[in-house]
Parts: sequence; structure tokens; C-alpha cells
Amino acid sequence: MPSLIDSDPVEGHTARSFDAALSELRLHLVSMGGLAIDQVATAVRALLEGDDALARLVLSRESMINDFERTIDREAFRLIALHQPVAGDLRMAKAASRIVVELERVGDEAKKIARFASRLAGGEPQGPVRAVARFLRNMADLTAGMLREAVRALDEADPELARGVTGRDAELDEEFAAALRQLLTLAMQDQRFLGATIDTVFALKGMERIGDHAKNIAEQVVFVASGEDMRHMKKGADAG
Amino acid sequence: MQPMTEAHGAVRAARPAQESALSNESSAKPSATSGGTPRITVAVDDTRQMRALNVKAAVDNLNFYYGTHRALKNLTIPIADKQVTALIGPSGCGKSTFLRCFNRMHDLQPNTRYEGSITLHPDNLNLVGPGVDPIEVRMRIGMVFQKPNPFPKSIFENVAYGLRLRGLRNRATLAEEVEKALRGAALWDEAKDRLQDSALALSGGQMQRLCIARALATTPEILLFDEPTSALDPIATAKIEELISTLRDQVTVLIVTHNMQQAARVSDYTAFMYLGELIEFDEAAKIFTNPNKKATEDYITGRYG
Amino acid sequence: MSVSAATVSPEQLRSGLTRRKLMDQIFVVAGLAVMLGCLAILAVLFIDLVRDGAPRFGWDFLTNFASRRAEKAGILAAWVGTSLIMLVTAVCAVPVGVMAAIYLEEYAPKNWFTAVVEINVTNLAGVPSIVYGLLALGLLVHQLELGQSILAAGLTLALLILPIVIVATRESIRSVPNAIREAAYGLGATRWEVTKDHVLPYSTGGILTGMILGLSRAIGETAPIITIGALSFIAFLPDAPIKSEFPFVSFQWLHDPFTAMPIQMFNWVSRPDQAFQSNAAAAGAILLCMTLAMNGVAIFIRYRFRKKINW
Repeated sequence: MPSLIDSDPVEGHTARSFDAALSELRLHLVSMGGLAIDQVATAVRALLEGDDALARLVLSRESMINDFERTIDREAFRLIALHQPVAGDLRMAKAASRIVVELERVGDEAKKIARFASRLAGGEPQGPVRAVARFLRNMADLTAGMLREAVRALDEADPELARGVTGRDAELDEEFAAALRQLLTLAMQDQRFLGATIDTVFALKGMERIGDHAKNIAEQVVFVASGEDMRHMKKGADAG
Repeated sequence: MQPMTEAHGAVRAARPAQESALSNESSAKPSATSGGTPRITVAVDDTRQMRALNVKAAVDNLNFYYGTHRALKNLTIPIADKQVTALIGPSGCGKSTFLRCFNRMHDLQPNTRYEGSITLHPDNLNLVGPGVDPIEVRMRIGMVFQKPNPFPKSIFENVAYGLRLRGLRNRATLAEEVEKALRGAALWDEAKDRLQDSALALSGGQMQRLCIARALATTPEILLFDEPTSALDPIATAKIEELISTLRDQVTVLIVTHNMQQAARVSDYTAFMYLGELIEFDEAAKIFTNPNKKATEDYITGRYG
Repeated sequence: MSVSAATVSPEQLRSGLTRRKLMDQIFVVAGLAVMLGCLAILAVLFIDLVRDGAPRFGWDFLTNFASRRAEKAGILAAWVGTSLIMLVTAVCAVPVGVMAAIYLEEYAPKNWFTAVVEINVTNLAGVPSIVYGLLALGLLVHQLELGQSILAAGLTLALLILPIVIVATRESIRSVPNAIREAAYGLGATRWEVTKDHVLPYSTGGILTGMILGLSRAIGETAPIITIGALSFIAFLPDAPIKSEFPFVSFQWLHDPFTAMPIQMFNWVSRPDQAFQSNAAAAGAILLCMTLAMNGVAIFIRYRFRKKINW
């Protein structure tokens, strides 16, 4: 990573080292977000296309996500210790530590989906997956979209975009519920595919969780921008 | 219980264009028999909870002129009773000028003029009023300066001077008051065995605490601190900050500091000033976690531009 | 030698340094030489005086009045006169000078009038002393009818040294740090309380210095007191200030005619008789001793004050 100290202060601080540290933190966060998005997209493709090579690619990159988590957490910690940030900068440091946890879990979910994809390619029955393929595709698009927008909101520090993400949770839950009904019907009809059905449920649940994490990331983006803590706020209709 | 006047929105500098206003109880003219300090309501934090503020001194549209130069512009701030209020801002923003209005130190310079008012409660005295004697003001408002400036006399005489000015002669009473003041300044233990020694033999931090004791001896209603620790090392600074925290219960404190971390550590309320104007006033916790104005955020995060 | 800013070798530094230090040494030597030279001249003058006046030193010299016979002539009237005049001068000049200085420094507003006053005070120090004499003759001796008395002489010399006292006091007051004043004002002191409790006590050293400078100048002033009529042949002393009956203190001596040491010396020096030259020299030596004694007392007082105060 080239040193940012020699360039003009991006964040506007008079203290260059502080400015560079903050810029680097943001940069790493967005990079980790990009990697997480890529992991999710690749894992889902592996699942839908039955591509074992893609699945193994996801599994091999898992350690990079973990490295990012450690690096960014450490950078945020040092920022607080060495530069005594206040207000917006302090919120950024705090939020970075939280976002990193969410992204790491996204990476975990992507890993689990990739493992499932591997098992399918290795001979596990594909019936259940085919039955809910449409739901899988929809959920994948939704969830990847949420994640992409959350990371973009983080990159561009756009709280409006982030608020938009927090609202789309409901749609994802509906798709999940519909897919579940479908699988249930299938399982009751034919008990041979119970194992594969359960695995498919887990894969669907994993995608739903990725959407949750995207929402959490968006909530942190709003926190950084305005100090508003949106966590655990009830929406109008009871969220599942 | 005095009736509380509702205020909309958070506390801002009172500019006519803004919808949120700070309304001061003193405009309702509390009756002579109702004692105590008036209360105003201040909306704090994002949940817009109203919290009441006992006001010791209400600054209302204060303007200050050096000759024709207008150094302070339409300042309106409540100074909370028995709380620490900090003034922060870049050099030349007028915070020291503002501080010195409270004890009329500007009257020692020629060609200075005040407009507006600083109303001291409970007796509603306008500190900068034209008919008000500056000496009387200075006897009710104490000050601690940036560089410790004890008199070249003994420690005892330093603390006793203010009392002597007020006509206190009785040796025993003087000794008692001096001890009380030195205890209040956390200097008694270090000084009790050398009260007759020269004050100039003390270390920098001790000298500053002596100056605080000297100001405390006359039981001021407001204690003004003008960058009290900028000439001291970190340990002495920490002791003085701790002292200011404990003084909170006895006296209203107004402190000017260019060290923002100090303002964050020490104050209950913080006012950010720039070029003679009040930019933002709020609880310290709010200012340092999520200030309302971009100018405030830029200043405290170090984006001076 | 020219060196590029960034690359100065240690050898170059050293050679430049030697030359610069040489200038330092030269000044030390030159200064020392000049100072020793001045002291030597003073010493020579003093020793010369003492040698010339040697035959006259003795108790008789100090207790005899003037006489036409050189061996019998003494300086009793002269040194009594000088002492009394110095007393009057000090008593008049110091309080007035100090108060004027306090007013100018602490109270006077900074306007054109004060500036004019300040300029004129310093100018007064340069006025020739004979002019003071003429002023005194017209105003004090004739107009106010003080006559040719010790009082008139004392007042004249007080006027003469007033600027010195004022300037020295002002400098001393200015050296009191403003922080002390601010602290006192902050506690609610009035301007007079600040001056009385803080400014004056701490400037006593400087005030005494001013007094020393002034009196040292006055003791040797001849022109003004000749002008107002010091006599040179006086065979009596002024009326004694301490009396044995009520009210025990008398001010009659202020109105008596007088003589002073410089007058007596001048008178003896101008006589053709060689013997009187020794008298003059002896008187001169004693006058020097009086001056040094006066200074010594003041320096001692100043030292005692200064020990108690340091910023």
C-alpha cells in the first residue's frame, strides 16, 4: 500500500499523519467490503452453476477476509490511542470496528455457501436446489445488491443511500419465507432429499443473514454521518 | 418551583433569523421574594429531551468594542450555576476578551465600551452596566490568570490579601479563612508548615494553586480561569483539572482553554467561539461526540483549513 | 569565507568560531582597560587631594570656623551647612518626585498632555544648574521672601534633582510586572491600594537609587547656591534644631544664612595664599567622603530591601 502521508490531506486535517491514518482506514474498509461482495457473488454463482472451481476460490480467499478484520481493527484502535479523535472522526473509528465484524461474518456465510456448492458438485442430490432456484437467484440478487449499496454508501459517506438499504430487509424476508414454503412442500412430498433440503434451507438462511449484515453496515454508515443510532429500532410492521 | 419556559429546539446563538430561541426567565421579572436562580430549558441530544438549567449569569446580546473595533458580537449565552462552562475557539476568537468582561478587567484599558448585558443572579445585577462599579464586580467575581502570578509576599499574605481588602483584620479569623481557602485549593497539606515562606519558592503548579486559593478566599460567586494550565507540566495540569472538578460544587466556573481535550475532560457545558461570535453552545458531551455546526466539527477535529 | 548553507565541515566551523571568539576577547580586554583607566584616574585624583590636604586633617579642621589664618581655618560651618541643605533637599525632592512619578505612571491618562509633561520632565534634567540658581534667586529669595537661607538653598537643589528622582522612580515602577497589578485588581483593589500595597514596596530599591543619584549630584552643586547667596565667611552655625525647652524642635535654622562645602572650597582655592590650597584639598577629600558615606547608607538600605523581593 503506497504511503498516503506525502499526498495532500484527503480528509482535511491539519495533522497529516492523522489524516493519512483515517484515509487508510476508510480505504481498507472499502477494500474489505469489495472483497466480501465478491465472495458472496462468487459463492452464489458456484451454487447455481454447480461450479466446484469457483467454490474452491471462495474458500481460498477466506483468510484474506480474516486478515483484513485484524488489520482494520488494529488501525482503528491505534487511531483512537494516538490521535484522540472526536466527533465525526471518533464515530468513524468506532463504526469501523463494528463494520469489520459484520463483513467478517458475511465472509463466513459466503464460505458456508461455497462449501454447500462443493458438496453439490461432489454428488449431493440437487433436487431441492433446483426446486428453489428462482428464489435462490432472487435472494442472491437482493442480498448482493444490499451489500453492494451498503459498501458504496460507506465509500461515498452517503447516509441517504444507507437508509435505503435498511428499508429493503423486509423484501428479503418475504422471499425467504416463500422459498421456505416451497421447500417444505417438497420435503413433505419426497423424504429422500431431506438432507439436501436441510442444507438448502441453511443456504437460504445464510443469504438472509447476509442481508441482515448489510443492513447493520448501513446503520453504521448513518451513525458515522449523523450520530444517529438506528440499531434495534422497530419499523412500522413487525420485522420477522 | 418557578415556571419553566418552553424553548424550541436546541440552544443556539440567539439570531433573529433562527427558529430556535433561548428564552431567559429573567425577562419574566421574578418577584423580589422568590429567591434562587432562574431556570431556562435547554434541549439536549437528539431525542430532544428538555433539561432545565439553573442560570448564574445570563449574557444577553453582549457587544464589546476596543475603540471602534467590535471584538465581541451579539453574544448570548447562559452560564450555568455551579457548573463548569468552557470557552473554546482559535486564537483571536474573543474568548479571553469575553472572559474579562465578567470582571471588568477591560476597564483598566482606555477606550473600551460594553453594550448589552451580563445579568448576575440572584440579584439581577448587570455586570457591564454603566452605573455599576467595576471594583464591586471584581469583589464578587474572582480570576485566575494564565501565568501564575502570586505576590512576592508570604503564602499566608497572598491568600489573606483579598480578605484584608475587605477589612478583615482579626488575626484568628484570617488564619481560619486562609486555611479554608488553601484546603479548597488542595494546597493545605503542602503549605501548612511554611505559611510564612515566600510564595515564590513554590513550584509552578503549586503557585497556580496558590493563586486559586487567593481567589477562593473571598468566596467569589463566579471563578474565571484564563487558560490556567497552559504554562504547567502534565502532572500539575492534571491536579488543577481535578481541582476545578471539585470546585464545581461550591462556585460557578468559567474557563477559557485552547486545549480541547481539557475542555472535554473538565467542562459540563462548552461554547465554541469564532471571530467574536458564538458559533455553538451545548453540553460538552454533545459538542465532542456530535456537534450541530460544521464549523464546530471542523475546529474540534482539527480541520482548520 | 563563504560556505554553502547545508555543507559546513567541522573544520570550517572551528576556524570561523576562532575568529568570532577573538572579537569577544578584544572587547573584554578593551572594556576592562577603559574601566581600569577611569578608576585609576579617580584614584589618582583622590590620592592627590589627600596628599595635598594631609597637613590639615585633624579634629580641629572639622570643628573650626573659617579664619584668615590658613592653619586655623576649619570647615565646621561648611559641612554643617552642606548636611542641613542635603536634609532639606532630600525631604523636599523625594516625596514630591515619587508622587509625581506615581501619578505619571499609574494614574495619568495616555493623552497629549501627559506626553508633553513627560518630555518636559526629562528635559529639566538637562537645564544648567545656574539657571536654577537664577530662578531661585528671583522666586524663592525675593518673591517669596525666603531670604538667603538654608531653606531657599534646599528648595533650589530639590528642584534641580527632581527630574532625576522622577525618572528613576518611574523606571522602577515600570519594572513591577503587570501581572502583579492584574492580580491585585482582580481581587477588587482600588488603584491606590494596588500602588500602596504592591507597586511602591517593590520599587523602593529603584526609588532609593534615584535618591542616591540625585543627592550625589546636589551635594557638589556650587553655582545655584552661590547665586542665591551662600556666604563664604561664616563664623557661626545656624540655629540648633534641637532645643532644651519646649517645643524641643525648632525650625529657625531653616531661615538662617549658611555656607556649604563647595563654596568654602572655591573661596580657599581662589586665594593667593598657597597655604589655603591645602585647606581646599582637605575639604575636597572630606566632601568626597561625605558623598561616599551617603551613597553607602542608601546602598545598604537598598540591599536590605532587595533581598526580600525577586521576580
